[in-house]
Amino acid sequence: MIKDTDDSGNVGILSFIQALNINKTNIINRVNRIGRVNRIGRVNRIGRVNRIGRVNRIGRVNRIGRVNRIDRVNGINKIVSSVSKPFSRFSTEGKIGIFGILCIILMAVFAPVITTYSPQRITGDSLEPPGFGHILGTDELGMDIWSQICYGARMSLTIGLAVAFISGFGGGAIGILAGYIGGYIDQGLMRVIDVTMALPSFPLLIVISAFLGPSILNVILILVLFSWAKPARIARSQTLSLKKNSYIIAARNYGAKPFYLLWRHILPEILPVLFVLVIGISSHAIVAEAGLAFLGLGDPTSKSWGMMLNHATGFRSIYFTPYWQWWLLPPLFMLIFLLLCLAFISRDMERILDPKLKIKKGF
Amino acid sequence: MVNDRNSFIFRSLSTLLVILVINFFLPRMMPGDPFSTTSADEVGEEIIVMTEEQHLYYVNYYGLDRPLYEQFLSYMKKLMTGNLGRSIYYKMPVSDVIMLHLPWTILIVVSATVISTISGVILGTLSAKNRKKGSDKIMMTGMIAFAEIPSFLLGLILLLIFSVYFRLFPLAGAVTPFAHYNGPTDQVLDILYHAFLPVLTLSLSQLTGVYLLTRNTLITVTTKDYIRTARAKGLGEKNVWIRHALRNALLPVVTRTGFMIGIMMGGVVLVENVFSYPGIGMTLRSAVVGRDYPLIQGILLVIAISILICNLLVDKIYGKLDPRVVI
Repeated sequence: MIKDTDDSGNVGILSFIQALNINKTNIINRVNRIGRVNRIGRVNRIGRVNRIGRVNRIGRVNRIGRVNRIDRVNGINKIVSSVSKPFSRFSTEGKIGIFGILCIILMAVFAPVITTYSPQRITGDSLEPPGFGHILGTDELGMDIWSQICYGARMSLTIGLAVAFISGFGGGAIGILAGYIGGYIDQGLMRVIDVTMALPSFPLLIVISAFLGPSILNVILILVLFSWAKPARIARSQTLSLKKNSYIIAARNYGAKPFYLLWRHILPEILPVLFVLVIGISSHAIVAEAGLAFLGLGDPTSKSWGMMLNHATGFRSIYFTPYWQWWLLPPLFMLIFLLLCLAFISRDMERILDPKLKIKKGF
Repeated sequence: MVNDRNSFIFRSLSTLLVILVINFFLPRMMPGDPFSTTSADEVGEEIIVMTEEQHLYYVNYYGLDRPLYEQFLSYMKKLMTGNLGRSIYYKMPVSDVIMLHLPWTILIVVSATVISTISGVILGTLSAKNRKKGSDKIMMTGMIAFAEIPSFLLGLILLLIFSVYFRLFPLAGAVTPFAHYNGPTDQVLDILYHAFLPVLTLSLSQLTGVYLLTRNTLITVTTKDYIRTARAKGLGEKNVWIRHALRNALLPVVTRTGFMIGIMMGGVVLVENVFSYPGIGMTLRSAVVGRDYPLIQGILLVIAISILICNLLVDKIYGKLDPRVVI
């Protein structure tokens, strides 16, 4: 704790921190008293109290705050280490996961560069086996499977990321606000969350998309509707427990506005948890999209991996011919690979962000 | 506790109400009306031509000319009497179509639940006993990786390995078509043979949850005082583990089973389609492809109600198992 304060070059508040540590019950009184004595330096003082709050927080919780501070105080060197440091904390599985995700993202972004054929156009004979012209062969219409895989990555990633970010951060914001405001709004929201989480999501997904018609936007909207509840609930409970912390009460006693409190003190604490949830939601969304497309409820104009599975399994007598080897296996393996990578990352992030769990490396 | 139970029942009821409302409003929210799509021939494989008489029947069934609240009331009244409407494709009452296919789904879901719970508890106990040894670590890593593969992808892999590559199991169906059985045992064997892969898929996908839960609760339970007391009394290791530790660790597993059925009802729709297993999941798909809206709604309702019933049952069983819970 003391070392942290030294780093940020503010020795003057050392004694105050010690006071905070020694006598936690008296903080509010103390803050109030000091506030009353030095009325002139109000602006400065608010800053200082916030800083104390922050130092306190960094000391208590974890490394993220620390990494941020290093960024701010020192130069490029430190930025490099701040990126490589969390990375080195990932276990081997986590590193494989990050590497795999990066590969898939690169594949999706540079799809036009690494493929020679358009995924939507007939460029070869029907059901060509893998060979020189078509690396992974062609499907029954003569479309290149390798290009379909590359362009399909775009679809899975777009839906996964869009759903995860909208519902993760949107749901998180709703949860934080409800937890902060409390009262009837909070109670009402909890009821809504309970019901949303109890709904059988996948059967409802099928039915709603059957009625509303398949399009990417509809799929994203429906998935968001079913996945905002979990982040909202977790953000709410976190906010409730944070609200009672002494540094936040202290800041409020110094006249910090609700928005400032939420932005400066509560959000940075909840953000890491939300990030872990976002990864989980994105993998759920990818599975749901693939499942819907597999049932024939995907966007018929797009080439997603789920759609490829749908076309391949819908092809009569595919299991009695060798076609499944190059038509069914590639999308199947890509989907599983993507989901495993996401799972490794989220498991590792959970472990890093929550030192209390004390899970050893490699689960 | 009383408050807890009330909120549980309240939650189940409001969930059911939400599903009913969604079911009621969906056909009315659609762009156009459901009859224009059923009478148009953009349907794909099954082209359904609606006669004027049928069209009138559906307008009358949905009662679209009456005010909304009246429509909702009559919809509820019809549901109470078990009238779910008539299927467009099968040309018979929706409830009959569902009753025809539901037993198959119940068969595989129930047997997968039983198998995954029992094997999960056994594996979890073994793992907790051998904690800090190499075998536990390997088991954990393998199980967790398994859990991340969604059930229908796992099903596809199993299908490709066992049915397509090794040709050990059938590719589709629940019974051998046009088979002559020499007796009831033959028939049961045939059904089990066809159900094997779907059940295996579902149980594997649910196994990890039970396994992790058993392992974690056992590890916490074994640190409790009464375990030390049991050991101090001189009870055998087997007795301590089974009668003292496992019995208390099983309570959360029971709750988990209820949730598991809920998750499985979602997964089973896809898994049935992978194996072409004639349960309600496959019926749902064919209803979606054929735009058979009354059937789609009926199946959704049946799935939702069965999940709620399972949760209520688990709640009751939990009360019996744990005397601290007051019903």
